[in-house]
Amino acid sequence: MILVCGIPSETPLRMVTSNLERMKAEFALLSQREFPKCQLWFEVNGGEIIGELHAPERTYPLQEFTAVYPRLMDDRFLPELSDEPPDSSLRKHCRSFHDTLIRWMEIAPALVINRCAPMASNSSKPYQAQLIREQGFLVPETLITNDPELVREFRAKHGRVIYKSISAVRSIVQELNDEDEARLERIRWCPTQFQAFEEGTNLRVHTVGGEAFATAVRSEATDYRYAARQAGEPAELREVTLSSELSEKCLRLSQALGLEFAGIDLKVTPEDDVYCFEVNPCPAFSYYEANTGQPISAAVARRLASASVTVGTLKPGLA
Amino acid sequence: MWLVLCSSSDTSGLWVYQGLRQLGVGPMELVLSEWLAFGSRWEHRLDGSATQFRVTLPDGRVLCSSRIRGAINRLLAPAPGIDQQAAISDREYAHAELQAFYLSWLQGLPGVMINRPGAVGLCGPWYHTSEWVCRASRAGLKAPVYRQSAHETERGYASLAPEGATTINVIAFRGEVYGERVGEPVARACARLAQEARTELLGIELYAGQDGEWTFASATPCPGLSVGGMPLLHSLADALTEGATS
Repeated sequence: MILVCGIPSETPLRMVTSNLERMKAEFALLSQREFPKCQLWFEVNGGEIIGELHAPERTYPLQEFTAVYPRLMDDRFLPELSDEPPDSSLRKHCRSFHDTLIRWMEIAPALVINRCAPMASNSSKPYQAQLIREQGFLVPETLITNDPELVREFRAKHGRVIYKSISAVRSIVQELNDEDEARLERIRWCPTQFQAFEEGTNLRVHTVGGEAFATAVRSEATDYRYAARQAGEPAELREVTLSSELSEKCLRLSQALGLEFAGIDLKVTPEDDVYCFEVNPCPAFSYYEANTGQPISAAVARRLASASVTVGTLKPGLA
Repeated sequence: MWLVLCSSSDTSGLWVYQGLRQLGVGPMELVLSEWLAFGSRWEHRLDGSATQFRVTLPDGRVLCSSRIRGAINRLLAPAPGIDQQAAISDREYAHAELQAFYLSWLQGLPGVMINRPGAVGLCGPWYHTSEWVCRASRAGLKAPVYRQSAHETERGYASLAPEGATTINVIAFRGEVYGERVGEPVARACARLAQEARTELLGIELYAGQDGEWTFASATPCPGLSVGGMPLLHSLADALTEGATS
């Protein structure tokens, strides 16, 4: 039995559940929005983890789940809570339900795509870059500072420089221009991340179940996710085949970070150097699948369905 | 130079700083999180092969990664400072940025780091109690039944020792166990727990169960160190200075 949880209408989740249906895989779909009608408990006793999920339709013993695919939205912002005061019992139940679910997923003897702890490497891009570098990828020259003068020197050295958030909080990657340079004094309050701009082709590689799906992205925008806004036209995406060496390297990187499913952002320079910018542990792969026809959601579904039963025992090698 | 990174209220951090200095580990610099919060010039760089870090502290001292040989790292979080000066709407973002920045420069420090940071804790892993119970069981420690449900108050990171129970604290460091004396099997299990959690130095709280057996209560990568006394101080000094010429 597979547990899928999140917002059922969210595109990536919907694509995976459609594939599970096509495969006739047995799965339970837990909508976060139904939390008021749900209960959950788990217990760790010696070498065993047991528990129950009481969903509106039926009750599931947690030990029956062999795989979990969580795509949880921040439960604080669920529509069901929009009119609730901060200390309402519904809010407390919502937080408590989600906390219990997440805590169970962290230790469950099931395949979880992905657990929170390995996903946390993405909470600091330069920290993750140091782990990425250990796997043999180039990382762009990076400066994090609160000193405007160092930024000016960095820009003078590299010519084109971008800036973006250090943390996982989403930011639009921007190129540093003269106007930005004029307001650099503002960084004195908080160190800010700057990176040398690398020319080349953007590649997004999704890795799951030993497979790598590569998409080349053509765009004039600094951040192709916002291509229409930054460059006036949307990015062009096309499926590409990676060399077996690069494909293996991407799979090893995901494995080293403890990620069952990852979205790896690469740039291949005209000299064939491969830079890695980031590994996204919760990739919104639907954009790439919709534009290239790559069967990413099918691969996720296959990986979920392939998980074997290890009923009740502790997940070995929690890391 | 070697660093002790801690907050001004961390008596263990201050104790280990004084103790290591008395054992002749030097130059040894005490770096309080409160000073870091107002570091006047931060510079952290990385490229294809190296990571560098430099900060000027409010008292004028400059910490530079090229001169650092190791650190006792007891930083729990960036001290409130910069993020508190952000507009309320930006505070959560500023905090996330600072946390991410600290994680990166700490990861990039060279030499012996006790403990090295990780994605789930700046001075080692801060696992939830449910996960520590799993890990303790797997390491061979007796552990109480842990239960969590959606309609109970979350116990988070609290000790599992029953009220009034006798508790002891030990410190596992590089395969050895310091502090209160426990039997050999329990000591070995504590060392395995630290190893299994990939944490060089781990504090473990045990309580006497009804059968008298030491039972897992909690674990922390930032324990009170004085329970380890001089033997622990000597081991920390040896670990920091191994391979160092001065």
